[in-house]
Amino acid sequence: MSYKKFNTNDILYNTMEAQPKSSFFIYDGLIYYNNMPKQTGTRNSSGHVRNASSGFLSLYEYNIDRPLVDTDRVIGEGPDVSYDALVTNYQASGTQVDFLLDNARIYPYISKDSARSSFKTFGAVNDYNEFQYGAILSASYPLSSSITREYITTPYASTSSYNAHYVALKNKLDFYAVRSKHYKVSSSSPAWNKDTQTLNLISIPSIFYGTRIRPGTLSLKWYLSGSLIGELRDEKENGELIQVGPAGSTGSGSVAGVALYEEGFLLLTGSWDLSTTQLALISGSGGALNEPAWIYYGAGANDNVNQTTVGGATYVSASFSLDFKGHTETQTVTMFAHAKVGEVNYSNNPTFIQKGQTQMEYTSSHIYEERSDRLMINTVSSSHSDYSASFERQVYISRVGVYDKFKNLIGVATLSNPVLKKEADEYSFKIKLDI
Amino acid sequence: MAVQNYENIDINSDVSTTRTLLHEVIPITGTILSGAYGTWPNDTNIKNYSHGMFQSVYDYPYLSSSANHIFDLTVGFDETSPLSASAATQNTKKINLYNQFSQLLLGYTGSTTDGVRKFESDLTLDGTGTMKDVFFINFARLLTKDQIKKGTFSLTVGTGAFGSAFAGTKTLYDVSASNTGETTNTFGGDYGVLFESGSSNAHGVLFYQAGIAVVSSSIFSGVAQFDSGTYGYRTVAESLQSSSISGTCDMLRHRIQNLSYNNTTEINSKIYFCRVPHNKFNYSSNPTYLSGSKIRVKEVATDPPVSYITTIGLYNSANELLATAKLSEPLRKDPTQELILRVRLDY
Repeated sequence: MSYKKFNTNDILYNTMEAQPKSSFFIYDGLIYYNNMPKQTGTRNSSGHVRNASSGFLSLYEYNIDRPLVDTDRVIGEGPDVSYDALVTNYQASGTQVDFLLDNARIYPYISKDSARSSFKTFGAVNDYNEFQYGAILSASYPLSSSITREYITTPYASTSSYNAHYVALKNKLDFYAVRSKHYKVSSSSPAWNKDTQTLNLISIPSIFYGTRIRPGTLSLKWYLSGSLIGELRDEKENGELIQVGPAGSTGSGSVAGVALYEEGFLLLTGSWDLSTTQLALISGSGGALNEPAWIYYGAGANDNVNQTTVGGATYVSASFSLDFKGHTETQTVTMFAHAKVGEVNYSNNPTFIQKGQTQMEYTSSHIYEERSDRLMINTVSSSHSDYSASFERQVYISRVGVYDKFKNLIGVATLSNPVLKKEADEYSFKIKLDI
Repeated sequence: MAVQNYENIDINSDVSTTRTLLHEVIPITGTILSGAYGTWPNDTNIKNYSHGMFQSVYDYPYLSSSANHIFDLTVGFDETSPLSASAATQNTKKINLYNQFSQLLLGYTGSTTDGVRKFESDLTLDGTGTMKDVFFINFARLLTKDQIKKGTFSLTVGTGAFGSAFAGTKTLYDVSASNTGETTNTFGGDYGVLFESGSSNAHGVLFYQAGIAVVSSSIFSGVAQFDSGTYGYRTVAESLQSSSISGTCDMLRHRIQNLSYNNTTEINSKIYFCRVPHNKFNYSSNPTYLSGSKIRVKEVATDPPVSYITTIGLYNSANELLATAKLSEPLRKDPTQELILRVRLDY
C-alpha cells in the first residue's frame, strides 16, 4: 500500500465557536430546562425517563427509563447464580469480592490498583485506604447537574459566621471592579457593603455554558401570576444586571446585581419592591409575607423552597425565567487528501483480482513469490446486455486512512457512498476532525 | 497574578505515565428488547429499515430524543450452508451479510476457491467447528467503549415453545476468556468462545474490540416452535431460511431473557511530581497577600514567611502556561517544609 504525504497546505487548524442557548423556568419548586416537561417513564414509572429530576441535565444520558431493580444476578453469569449467596460465600472464606450485581442499570466501576485511581466520591484518603487491592469501587449513573439558588442573609459577619460560597467569590468580585463598580464588595458612594447585604446567589454549572456566559445575552424575568413584573438584562455587557422592564416599573434602570460570566454566578442584591402583592418566598419563615424583589428571584431552584417550606400557597403565584447563551470553543483539524490523476487506482481487496487464478509463483523455505501476471477484474459496467465493456482501470474509494509519521494508522474516514475513480479522475477528500 | 517563579521538571525522574481501566456494567434485560414499548413484534424501540438487512434496538422509543442505540441485530449464513438455496427468503442478502462480517472480523484464507473465512466455535481457525448459520449482535460503540471486558459477557435465551419461551433457558458466556488467554487475535481484534452454561458446548464467539457477538443457530437446536406460528411453527433453521431477516430477528428478541457485559475504557495518565523546595514558594503575588505593604500573615518581622498553595501551573519551555492544577484545599507552606505535589493529567 502506498502512502500520500500531507503538504503544509493540506492541513488546517481552526476553532469553531458555538453559543449554546439555555433556558430555565422555575415554578412551584421545580425547574424546567429548555422547556422540557417532566417525563415519566414506561418501565421507570415512578421516576423520570432520564433518571434525573426535572431541570437537571443527565451526563451521557445513560439509564434511560431504567428502574433500579435488585435482580440478584451477577454480571457475566447465568440466572442460576445468586449474587447475595455468592457474596456470603466469598465473605465467609475471606475472599475479595470481585464480581458485580446486575441492578438493571449501567454503572461504572474500577478495581483498586497501583494507579491509585478512584471516583470523587472516594475522596478521603482514609476511605480509599480501607479497600484492599483488587477491590471494586463503584459509582452510579446518571451524573446530573442543574442551577442552584442560595438565599444568603449573613454573607460575612465574622471569621466564624459567614457563607463560604460568598466568601470564595469576594476576591473575584473586587477583581472584576475594573469592569463595573457594582462588582465591588464595598463602596462608599453610593454606599453598600455586600458583606452585610441580603444576597441572592444563583450558580450555573459550566456544562450549561462552556467557557463563559456570553455577555449581553442574560435575561432574568420575575413573573407574578403570569404577569411580568421585572426583567434584568446585562445590556451593557459589563456584568451589570440592569432592570429594563416592564416600562415604568419600580427600579427600572437600576442595577440589581452582577454576573460573573466566566465563573457562572449571578449575584443579586436588588431589594426594592417589584409589586405590592405579598408572597411567602422564604424557606423556614413560617409563612412570612414579602413583596417580590430581586433577592427572592429564582425561589424554588434547588434551594428547598416550596409551598410547604415557605408555609404559604401564595408562593405558587411566583415564577421565574432565566435565559442566556454560552460560549464554547472546539478545535478542529481539516485535512485534504488528494487522489490525483493516474494515482490511487489499485485496490488490495482480494476481490479486485479475477477469481480462480493461481496466486503463488514459487514458494520455499527461502522464497515466497506471487505471480505477476494475475488479471484484475473488470468492474466497468456495460450499457448493453450480453456485452462486456472494455477494460479500464478504476476503483471505488470507500475509506481514507490517516497515518502518523511512523505509519501507524491513527484514523479512518469512511465515505457515505464509495466514489468511483477512473484513471483520468482527480478527487480531493476533505476530512474534518473535532479535537 | 501568580508567582512567576518556575521550578524545572526533570522528565526522567519527575514524570511518570500510568493507565487506568474504567469499566461500566451494561445490563440489557429482555424487557427492553420485547414488550416494554408497544406490542411485540411492533415495538416502538425497534427500528426496521426498507433495505431489510438488519434491525436496530434502542433503549426507548427511537423517535424520542432520549433514546440510545443499544445494538443491531441481523442474521446470515454461508453459501455452503444447507440453508442456502435460491428459494430461500433474502438468500443473497443473508449470504452477503455472513461474508461481510467474516471478511471484516476474520479475513481471508488465501484459497482462491473459498477465500473468506468462516466463523468457528473454537479458537483455531482451521476449518473445523464452523458455524454457518448465525445471528449477529452488533453492539453500539456508546456501550462497548474501547472494548467489552473479557470474561464478563452473558446471554440467556429461552428455549421453550414460542408461547412459553422461557420455560427452558440456556446461558452463553465467555467463561474461559481473560486478559491473559483463551482468546484469538484476528482482523477484527480478539475473540473468545461463547460456551453454554454447565457444558462444554460452544455456540458462538464474541469479538471484544469490535463489540460483535456471533451466535450460532445451534443454540436453538431442538426447539420445535422457534417462531410465532404465523406461517406454521418453524424451527430455527426453517426460520432462517424462510423468514425475512427482520422476522427472524423478531423471534430472537422474543427469546432473549437477559444480556449483560462490562465494557472497558482506557484512561491514560501522565503524573508530574512537582517538587516544592523548602526555601521556595514561601511568598505569594496575590494582591491580598499584602496589607499596607506588609505581609498579612506575619504578626512580627521575625516570623517566617508563610504562603498557602492553591494552584500549580504547568508551563512549557517558553514559559507559556499550558495547564493548571487546583488543590482541593490550600496547602500551608513555610521554609520548614518541603513538599512533593502529585499532578495527574488524564487524556
